[in-house]
Amino acid sequence: MADLPLAPSDVALPEARRRLNPTLVRYLSALRTPKGVVGLSILVLMGLAALLAPVLFPGGYDQQGPQALTGMSGKHIFGVDEFGRDIFVRSLYGLRIDLSLILTAVPLSMAVGTLLGLSGVISERLGAAVQRLLDVVIGFPGLILGICLVAILQPGWPALFLTILISGLPTAGRLARGAWLAQQSREYVLAARVLGVSRWQLLVRHVLPNAMDAIVVNGAVWMVVGVYIEAGLSIVGLGVQPPTPSLGVLLNNGLRFVTQSPTYIVGPALLLLLVSVGFSLLSDALNEAVNRR
Amino acid sequence: MVRFLIRKIPSVVFVLFASSIVAFALPRLAPGDVAVTLAGTDSTAAAIAAIRQELGLNRPLVVQYWDWIVGLFQGNLGESYLLRRSVASLIGDRLGSTLELAALATLLVILIGTTLGVAVGSTRRRWARAGLDLVNSFFIAIPSFLTGLALILVFGVLNRWLPVSGEVSFMADPTIGFQFLILPAFALALPSAAVVARLLQAEMLAVKNEDYVDLALSKGASATRITLRHVLRNSVGTAVVAVGLQIGNLLAGAVIIEAIFNRNGLGQLAVSSVQTRDFTVLQVLILAVVFVAVICQILTEVVLAGLDPRIKLGE
Repeated sequence: MADLPLAPSDVALPEARRRLNPTLVRYLSALRTPKGVVGLSILVLMGLAALLAPVLFPGGYDQQGPQALTGMSGKHIFGVDEFGRDIFVRSLYGLRIDLSLILTAVPLSMAVGTLLGLSGVISERLGAAVQRLLDVVIGFPGLILGICLVAILQPGWPALFLTILISGLPTAGRLARGAWLAQQSREYVLAARVLGVSRWQLLVRHVLPNAMDAIVVNGAVWMVVGVYIEAGLSIVGLGVQPPTPSLGVLLNNGLRFVTQSPTYIVGPALLLLLVSVGFSLLSDALNEAVNRR
Repeated sequence: MVRFLIRKIPSVVFVLFASSIVAFALPRLAPGDVAVTLAGTDSTAAAIAAIRQELGLNRPLVVQYWDWIVGLFQGNLGESYLLRRSVASLIGDRLGSTLELAALATLLVILIGTTLGVAVGSTRRRWARAGLDLVNSFFIAIPSFLTGLALILVFGVLNRWLPVSGEVSFMADPTIGFQFLILPAFALALPSAAVVARLLQAEMLAVKNEDYVDLALSKGASATRITLRHVLRNSVGTAVVAVGLQIGNLLAGAVIIEAIFNRNGLGQLAVSSVQTRDFTVLQVLILAVVFVAVICQILTEVVLAGLDPRIKLGE
């Protein structure tokens, strides 16, 4: 790692570093490994592109041009769709939908899943019961769960949000419950209990920090799953409804015109791939960082 | 084994019972009224009431649920309100298409997964292992729909080698049916195959350090024999479990793959019944997926015990 360029923060801020939370420092150290740097750069770039889309292309995603279904060109780098709209502009606006989905649904899912997993702290029976319920959720593979939810709500952002939220619960719950059960049999925990330390203190001091690492890594992995859930449901026609673009919707539309304009699906697929590669690298880097201890 | 299966019954029944309630309740929570849809836009309240009466929709939900479940046990899957056909015949029409796809995909998962896993697990060359491992990671990360899109572009649009839209029944015409089947099955199988390969490879590397491998080596057994007879045989349990666990993913993935390749299978039936709110069809399909996933899980455990005498079922 010696050949990595030093960031200014490496040199100038030893004082600040010392005051930072050690857990946070460990996560931050992940961002300085090659995988972390590449992953984060991709994600920052994607995030900026999504955020700035309305500034860069104030015309919105519905501006129609004179030609339709032309391939990639200098003027329209992803080509033009069936209504003469620029696919690159639509992809950036679609990226906004995808990122807004996963960046809200996944963290919430991890938090709620952790709380559910720790319900065993209140009573062992409750914990086991919650676990049974989460098992039922696992029985529904991701897309099937989405189909159920779309059946209740109309297809759209809320249904996608809930699908991603609910499908992430079982794994987070298991990780949290695993940490709770593992710590419970440790001697220091027994000793602390005898000394009268409350369960809640144990939870906050020992269990949560131990479960945290696995859940953060899992959260980064689940970001990728979230993007794929959006794309999958949109491809079968149960995602965000047109004219709103999402990466999955663009793939769905592009597939219909694949013989006339084969490059239609390439641009959106590329952005989708970049987002998932970004989060995969980030989760890898985080995983290595938390296991390096 | 019988004792193991008996002991499994309560948890299986619970999961199926909970899923049946979910499958029954979810579509009915949706806004909108089937009777109104069926009656048409400008129908009288009396006409709507008559339809509700005819379909039994005005009975309490508990009664409707009970009738549905009793019907299922009697082999009566119900009737689609919208299409006026029995759910069994709707499913029967499309079952073949999905079964062909799932069967070939599972076969490919086993073939590609074991080949790749054994290749990585037995090679001694470092660069070969790293290279294959990289390929593997790539395929684990790429979802089946992106593989599907890439295959369509390469084999169907840029080179018109294979058909990429529609289907011909494999039973009716094996050659043409296979041409329609191979691309979707391959796309569906690839991510699962990569997962199986990864697990098999890790297990093989672990087994290689066992004492009996050293013993076989000192007895002068050839490298091929050691790989096949000692290492692979003792690692194959992991692969079986992995394949079993991937079946649920294959079924869910089939929904997207069918949409991409325009195949008229059960996945398309599920999607269209969501879009038209045909919930008598949907509830059967949802329950069926969960049922298949649970059965696969149990079969996996049984097969595993058959392969490895050290594992005793139900302990």
